[in-house]
Amino acid sequence: MMLLLEIREKIKEIYYKNKSYADPLWKFVLALTVFIIINGQMGYSARLSSLPVALGLSFLCAFTGGGVFVFLAAVLVVGQIAGNSILLAAVVGVMFIIMYCMVLRLTPNFSYVVILTPILFVLKIPYVLALILGIVGTPMTILPLACGVLTYYTLLAVQTTANATFGVSMEDALNIYKIVVNNIISNREVLIYIMVLAIALLITYVIRRQAFDHAFEIAIAVGTIITILGFMVANLAFGFTGMGKVIGGTLGSAVLALVVWFFKMGLDYTAVERIQFEDDDYYYYVKAVPKLYVTVPEKNVKRMNDPQDDEDYSQTEDLTEDID
Amino acid sequence: MLNEKKIRIMTRLALSEEKQGKESFEIGKYYRSDYIRYNLLKTMLSVTFGYVLILGMIILYHAEYLITEAVKLDYAAMGKNALMIYLLLLLVYSVITIAISNRKYSRARRFKRKYGNVLGILRKLYAGESGTDPKEEVTKS
Repeated sequence: MMLLLEIREKIKEIYYKNKSYADPLWKFVLALTVFIIINGQMGYSARLSSLPVALGLSFLCAFTGGGVFVFLAAVLVVGQIAGNSILLAAVVGVMFIIMYCMVLRLTPNFSYVVILTPILFVLKIPYVLALILGIVGTPMTILPLACGVLTYYTLLAVQTTANATFGVSMEDALNIYKIVVNNIISNREVLIYIMVLAIALLITYVIRRQAFDHAFEIAIAVGTIITILGFMVANLAFGFTGMGKVIGGTLGSAVLALVVWFFKMGLDYTAVERIQFEDDDYYYYVKAVPKLYVTVPEKNVKRMNDPQDDEDYSQTEDLTEDID
Repeated sequence: MLNEKKIRIMTRLALSEEKQGKESFEIGKYYRSDYIRYNLLKTMLSVTFGYVLILGMIILYHAEYLITEAVKLDYAAMGKNALMIYLLLLLVYSVITIAISNRKYSRARRFKRKYGNVLGILRKLYAGESGTDPKEEVTKS
């Protein structure tokens, strides 16, 4: 355990020191992975599937916020589908707009969940999101998670429909639309996944908020068991198949959630900051390097003089504490 | 000459401004009621738009049935149902929006107050340096 903690501190230290380069880098890698998986799953448009397009989009995502990433991913999905059928693309596009208007505006910080859920479905570990969101999020994150599950099954239905060939008359267009919608409505897995993941998320959240020791580990463990139990119930009640896949994926997700929690633990989000300001006499270009106490033995310095000084600074500390 | 204490306070101010300040100052421009009303309006517009799209998709799905049965349909009842659901949606979303924006506004105000306190300390430092309060100087001139 000690070794793991040391490794974590090393990684954190490196990350903090190079935050200004590391942040765009991991954003770039994440975006590129997502775009490549989207292209691999639904590469209907040869032009959009080319690597330079994915690289260019990822480059854009590296230097912008999460909203741009979600938007670009959604546009890429719609664009790819348009390469096969304009109508299907319109259906998915409208669905994205509805999701934004009705759901994602309430949880703007978690809109990326809608894109990541289908990706994690492809990687066979959608369960990890319920556990991680239970740890880092609030019960509200059930909404984007449910949207993500719906998005995955919509895209699945679009994929199966797109593989069949249809005519282009108005009647055919209506038929295609009805087939896709029927495909989603008749698929019980959609509801099963939404219900089970929502319950797992909620229980993980409730447990990790408790004040006992190891609340986080217990929350992840219980969340994992609830997920497996939930799918078992679904298996018995609705004939849900693929339990082996679910159990394997859930256990893998639990390990992944533990890793995420391990790195989040004790994370204070302070990093090297470069700021500039001015007063009447000078321009200041300040590089603020936070003191990382974790690996250094703690020192207790009691100042015996200048109480006025301490009081002043205690207020400034207050300000930054509130921000963190 | 460089005043280390002053720089430390200004650094803290600049850091906090960068992290939370932009949004808080933006929110702080409004009165609480105005801010909530503004957000309520945005939510209502987006919910209305989303609902119209959902209705459109439902109508399209049942298009065949609607066209063949166009004469026999009870449009009044359908319209009433649609309207009831819409009003219910608006109500739920309004309550959530009011709760969220109220909390956001309180947080922004708390931040602004603390920021103001630290600014006060900085002002005191200036006063100690030049012998007069810059604020007083401004009012004098």
